[in-house]
Amino acid sequence: MSKHSSDLNSLISHIALYDSQSSYEQLFKGLFPSLYRFSYCLLKSRELSEEVASDVMITLWKNRQKLPEVENVRVYAFVIARNLSLNVLNKHARQELVSIDDIEVEMTLDALNPEQLLINGELKKKLELATQSLPGKCQLVFKLIKEDGLSYKETAAILNISVKTVDAHLVTAVKKLTAILKMELNLM
Amino acid sequence: MDSNRIIELLARKMASEATLRELEELDELMAIYPDSLHYEEVLKGIWSDSSAERPLHNLHINRLFEQHKLKFSEEFEPAVREEEMPSSWYKKYVGVFAIACSLFLICLAALFQLNKKAVDFDTEIVSGKGMRKKITLPDGTLVWLNAGSTLSYDSDLDKKERRLVYLVGEAFFDVAHQENRPFIVRTNKISIKVLGTAFNVKAYELDQVSEATLLRGSIELSVNNKSQQKILLKPSEKFALTENRKTTKDKKDLLQDSDDLTLKIENIAPVRIAGQDYIEETSWKDDVLVFKNESFEELKPKLERWFNVQIEIAVSVPKSYRFTGIFKNEDIKEALTAMQLIKPFHFKLKADDVIIY
Repeated sequence: MSKHSSDLNSLISHIALYDSQSSYEQLFKGLFPSLYRFSYCLLKSRELSEEVASDVMITLWKNRQKLPEVENVRVYAFVIARNLSLNVLNKHARQELVSIDDIEVEMTLDALNPEQLLINGELKKKLELATQSLPGKCQLVFKLIKEDGLSYKETAAILNISVKTVDAHLVTAVKKLTAILKMELNLM
Repeated sequence: MDSNRIIELLARKMASEATLRELEELDELMAIYPDSLHYEEVLKGIWSDSSAERPLHNLHINRLFEQHKLKFSEEFEPAVREEEMPSSWYKKYVGVFAIACSLFLICLAALFQLNKKAVDFDTEIVSGKGMRKKITLPDGTLVWLNAGSTLSYDSDLDKKERRLVYLVGEAFFDVAHQENRPFIVRTNKISIKVLGTAFNVKAYELDQVSEATLLRGSIELSVNNKSQQKILLKPSEKFALTENRKTTKDKKDLLQDSDDLTLKIENIAPVRIAGQDYIEETSWKDDVLVFKNESFEELKPKLERWFNVQIEIAVSVPKSYRFTGIFKNEDIKEALTAMQLIKPFHFKLKADDVIIY
């Protein structure tokens, strides 16, 4: 994980000092997928998530001179993505303001029974289905840690929860996933 | 059953957030329940899965980036390839004055700026031997000047496009961040361009080594007679330029001087003394002199400057003697006495002269 951040820092130095578009392209390719996935969890719309991720990146570009002073750019980017996503939700919401606590990221999958898992085949698909069956925050935490390699501290900063809560969500996620998958994998 | 606890600990281990004690507990539990290896294998499989997703994105992400650039085309001027780009301050002048004849004049002016030495500045701050000074420049930049150093700058520094200062000796800079107005430190051998950072420059006249240490932010460094080569420093990196002057005799038995330049970049590591961490390269600004595993030869110039004394080391003193330590408020006598506790030697102190034997 620390290798990631030192690569990121040298990209950012390049962008700040030279207005380097090629470094920005690398930054884009590194961050966009994660930001898109994160935003998608909240918005559940491909179009809107692409827009949010794109807006985050251009914000980083516009503020490139100040970027070297930011301590953790990945967290910074995710936080912008979070705020933009919440704005989108608030615009579409008919009632009160939505906060990140209210978000239900649950995808309803009726058939998460063993037969379904068997029919679908590879572990990857099963894992994705299993992951999507996790409750809201739990799924977000699991994805940020596993897919984006973020630390407890970073995840806590992005989701505005305590490190202890992050830990609890992660453990819950792992327990649920192993429970779902154990049948498939003949675990005790 | 304990499988719950095992899964809990495994989850933390996969997230790289398990404490040492938890890892030990996990090892113990897994020894008691060898079947639990299954769980570890499953989780490893789940975790490694994320890397498999990346390749799929490649084609898709390229298209997304192109769309992104189109959408925000006004933010991206036509790209200039970095390899061919001249120093950016130069480019700024060209952009502002587009008229052909002015271009020539600007070229001259730029060259003049390049060769600006200490004499061309109207303000000069000098710190004598044994003295350290802290000053604030007109733009808000803080500078700590170490002993035996001179900092030159123009009093209208804050009004210029480029903030240029000239340093002989050693100084620590905490540069006030100003957008589009780079701060440049020039010494005899190297130039450093910054965008609001904290860093140390060591370039004493008589030393063969010029050093720059970066604590925060980012800086771009270039060697003065090779200004095309630019070096980017990251925080906690240190750059050292060693000039090895070689004097050789050529065929006609005449002396020839050649310059051998060695450039080195390394990571700085704090020195731990008595439970506290010190950064050797920059602690002087807090009135602390730090040295790590240095011989008398290496310490001599440091001590001479710090205490404003002249040191002579007799041949009888073993070259293998090395010292690590910090000095905060000691005077030269106390310092040498403290060093005697580490390695045996004698010293004679007469006014400002020290003899070590």
